[in-house]
Amino acid sequence: MPFQEKRVKADGFSIRYWEAGQGRPVVMLDPTGWQDTPLHQALAEKYRVFALELPGTGDSPANTVSGSIAELAGTVAKAAASLTSERYTLIGSSFGASVALWQTLLVPEVVEALILVSPKAIRPQQVPAAATAADGHRMQFAHEENAQKQSPLSQDVYDKESDLAQRLGIGVHDSEAESKLGDIHCPTLAVFGQEDHFVTPEAPRVYREKISNCNIALVYDAGHCILGDRSDALVNAVVDYAEHWETFIIGHQSGLINP
Amino acid sequence: MKASMFAGMGYSQRATFPSTWPVSPVHADPETSVQSYREGMEECELAEDMGFDWLSFSEHHYSGRIATGTPAVAAAAVAERCKNIKIALLGHLLPLNNPVRVAEELALLDNLSNGRVVAGFLRGTPNEDQVYTMNPAEGRGRLLESMDLILKALTEPEPFSWEGRYYQYRTVAVWPRVVQQPLPQVVVGTRSDDTVRYAAEHRLGLGVSFLPVEETAKITDKYHAWCAEAGWTPGPDDIVYRGSLYLAETDELANEWYQGLMASRPGPNIPLRRTVAEAIQAARVGNVFDLRGVVAGSPEGDVVGNSLGINFLGGPDTVAKQIKEFHDRCGVGVIDMPFQQNKVDHKAVLKEIELFGKEVIPQLREFK
Repeated sequence: MPFQEKRVKADGFSIRYWEAGQGRPVVMLDPTGWQDTPLHQALAEKYRVFALELPGTGDSPANTVSGSIAELAGTVAKAAASLTSERYTLIGSSFGASVALWQTLLVPEVVEALILVSPKAIRPQQVPAAATAADGHRMQFAHEENAQKQSPLSQDVYDKESDLAQRLGIGVHDSEAESKLGDIHCPTLAVFGQEDHFVTPEAPRVYREKISNCNIALVYDAGHCILGDRSDALVNAVVDYAEHWETFIIGHQSGLINP
Repeated sequence: MKASMFAGMGYSQRATFPSTWPVSPVHADPETSVQSYREGMEECELAEDMGFDWLSFSEHHYSGRIATGTPAVAAAAVAERCKNIKIALLGHLLPLNNPVRVAEELALLDNLSNGRVVAGFLRGTPNEDQVYTMNPAEGRGRLLESMDLILKALTEPEPFSWEGRYYQYRTVAVWPRVVQQPLPQVVVGTRSDDTVRYAAEHRLGLGVSFLPVEETAKITDKYHAWCAEAGWTPGPDDIVYRGSLYLAETDELANEWYQGLMASRPGPNIPLRRTVAEAIQAARVGNVFDLRGVVAGSPEGDVVGNSLGINFLGGPDTVAKQIKEFHDRCGVGVIDMPFQQNKVDHKAVLKEIELFGKEVIPQLREFK
């Protein structure tokens, strides 16, 4: 399904977004610029999807305005409010997950369900910063061959996003966000690659412990970039959760062999 | 060095079985079967009394030679009789099983035994790919994923869902938690590089079975090297060797038994029809097997398989020396032995266990 590139204004930013599909709204916050992934396609089959380019990521200009993740999240919340007046499912990946977490805290009344893919706001590992875009790219994957199937960011984009992440404290433990996790009451799924070295193995359980309606999904044999290592597994979990929320634990696959 | 008895719980009349696998259940007389398990329990109790450190149980199917298709059930019964000895499940055949169920069995057994469980992860012999009709080509992938999932299930205190290649569970929350925190000792039984490396990288023990000492050393050398790469040194209990044994009062008596055994032309331990054996091997490596390229055999007797030799044979001093080679050359710290050999009845097994306890175990204790 083709996505249409559009723009929306918020807090002085002109934010690019890509839209496709019909149905209940889904707002996606990706870690970098636009990528048409199997997850976007699968969601657009069932939902009206808005995939936003976070200011300061992808091909957008450097973001020297947002002073904190919460401030950036406020900007994105305003953009989302311009796109839909309905409550929406919010899906954030990596950098986008940090923003999505704060967005849910800021505007809980409009976030119907929250899906965090590879969030690293809570208990991040002290991973040595990669000097180059190529090194940073490689660290995202559990398998070298999967890293090679995708192009790394250009060095310019990588540097711009790294500066923004560093300035906003992405990759550093967000104790304020952790202290507020109990304020999130919408159905929440946090998905982690089993080989994600950007967070400690204990990080997933913090979400489960502190968010009242939270499921944790562990994707086997996947690194931080789950889409790159185990795309089908991620799509399966996220689409199921978006559809069924916490009841996604109920099995619907038939075990019947010879009826 | 520690001693472990492999509790096979074999059917007492196993020497009369036809040379086939599976062994038809028609050969199992319920009364004899019940008595056989009682005898197996007695052997376990005696082993504990004689100073053995571990009792081990292994999942093998469809044959009364090793009659513990559900090893946790046998282990639970023995754990109630034997109050102090380690209960080692060496182990579950992971590709055949629901990994969450395996984790639950291990956790429950660790509680019932008050923290005496040792867990073993195995792929299984080729014939066992047929049990529960698993695709042999998927065995290795299932094994690797199962190990990850079981370790997670045993250590994660919050519920989680698992999105695997072969397994998907939307709720995993194993009860009870294991007594031995954070994890009971785990031994990966393998000869394959990828799983040896897995054991080293995850700081797990290694189990090697039935190979000669130099072949075993090739595996344990790699294990030691990969452990060092992973930043740790295995402890004395981390390398387990399972070898077959026949112990007699003297070397002469042991050799006499062995000659008698060979003269009776024993069949392979796991006899398979040739077509089936070749088809499984082909499937394990992803090859197509053309049945019509193989001349079909006669209905009986056309079987293949390894007739395992005896790893340790002799009187107490000889056997102790043979075991010491594995200790010195391979770093083996736990020796695991089945005493229920072919044509060795219950009384003879008890006699061997006693002899091993009195004459061999004191020597093992000196291997440091």
